[in-house]
Amino acid sequence: MGTEAPLCADTAVIAPPSGLAIVGHLQRQAYLQTIPLNASLELTLRCNLRCLHCYNFDRDTDGPACGSDGALAPELSLDEICRVLGELREAGTLFLALTGGEVLSAPHLFPVMDRARELGFAVQLLSNGTMLRPGVAARLAGYRNLTGVSISVYGATPEVHDGITQVRGSWRRTWAGADRLRAQGIAVRMKVIVMRANAHEVGAMRGMAEARGLSTAVDVNITARNDGTSGSVATRATEEQLVELYRGALADLAPKTGHVVDEASFPCNCARGNCAISSRGDVQPCISVPWVAGNIRRQPFAEIWRSSPVFQQIRGFKMADYPKCAPCPDKAFCSRDRSAAYNASGRYTGNDPFVCSVAGIARKVVEERAAAAAVSSTACPG
Amino acid sequence: MTYARDPGLPHQKLDEETIVIDPRTREVHLFNDTAGRIWELLASPRSVDDLTAALADEYEAPSDEVRASVEETLGWLRDKGLLAGRGAG
Repeated sequence: MGTEAPLCADTAVIAPPSGLAIVGHLQRQAYLQTIPLNASLELTLRCNLRCLHCYNFDRDTDGPACGSDGALAPELSLDEICRVLGELREAGTLFLALTGGEVLSAPHLFPVMDRARELGFAVQLLSNGTMLRPGVAARLAGYRNLTGVSISVYGATPEVHDGITQVRGSWRRTWAGADRLRAQGIAVRMKVIVMRANAHEVGAMRGMAEARGLSTAVDVNITARNDGTSGSVATRATEEQLVELYRGALADLAPKTGHVVDEASFPCNCARGNCAISSRGDVQPCISVPWVAGNIRRQPFAEIWRSSPVFQQIRGFKMADYPKCAPCPDKAFCSRDRSAAYNASGRYTGNDPFVCSVAGIARKVVEERAAAAAVSSTACPG
Repeated sequence: MTYARDPGLPHQKLDEETIVIDPRTREVHLFNDTAGRIWELLASPRSVDDLTAALADEYEAPSDEVRASVEETLGWLRDKGLLAGRGAG
């Protein structure tokens, strides 16, 4: 095992570097002891936007036709959510990411926040920001246990962003929401989702966030949807765009050098220090990997976490069980995104050719950079 | 005078260590076994005498040494803003 436990960006606490060292220590212990330190809880699939790339379901339809058990169960009630919060805390969860759909459209958000505060969770919200009206931002500021809000952004201009969300005015409302949180002293991370339609604005999006004193995260892996449809993948950035981005606006994110990926560092945090619960109670290794390990309506969370065959299987996988990844020379440059792999191949140990191509591009750019540095060094007098 | 921890702060005990997060200051604190035990006891209001008696009994240590440690820890928790209010009673 390396010095750092693998972390999913969506569940990483928003903390300064000094705090991250302590959090990293805790994450490492949780990973080694199989404690679900991080949990994502999807409060609803409702959303006020209709994003072209949404991984939940095709937003041009009425919603998913059926759930994991063949029927479409209702979303979790407040009582059910409060019960599972207690079970998660009992099992060792500290970092709780509340997500959607749009989390602020969840009817029980504030009662859930109240219960999470009583139980001592560190809460992060994942939102599109458009519903962060002044009163909402002020109310959120009253939660001492809110570590931050991660807001997805799709453009530096309203034309591009609103074209992706299919809702006019969403760009303006997203940035206004981020500004309101910032004014309330709440940590905000702008999550830049890179797509074909906005690749030319990635640098500008990051610049807008930085000018406001907001941190950023970048995600290039648009996945097929949890409802089995794959229209979302048509929104992915092209290879040419990604090469240009890694040479330019995302140059700081390409690995500096290839690091060694071995048996200990290959697995991600899924089913070890991380879990997720869908809006209908399905327990999953990650919110965007819809491989159902059980349902909290039928089984206590702790029992699912401890003995579900799905989780046992994930914990037992060796690198050799990932047939495309194990021999791949690009794996040190790869996100090894399990949600993309699962949704593309139907297997947790499968692969998504898009993710593979992104890794290849990262490798190419890093090698170009190393070659240029070598030439520069050779040419330097003395 | 009694002391209690700020009930809104996220915290977690793992093995012998306790982590406490203060999102307002963006600080993350790691407590050793003794400080973690004091944090645990402060879930409800306690006086210095209460804490000293409890810890002296649990750790089988001299009361004067324990009291000094309790007072030092409470001072640190107060300075960091991790206690509820200003103390009561």
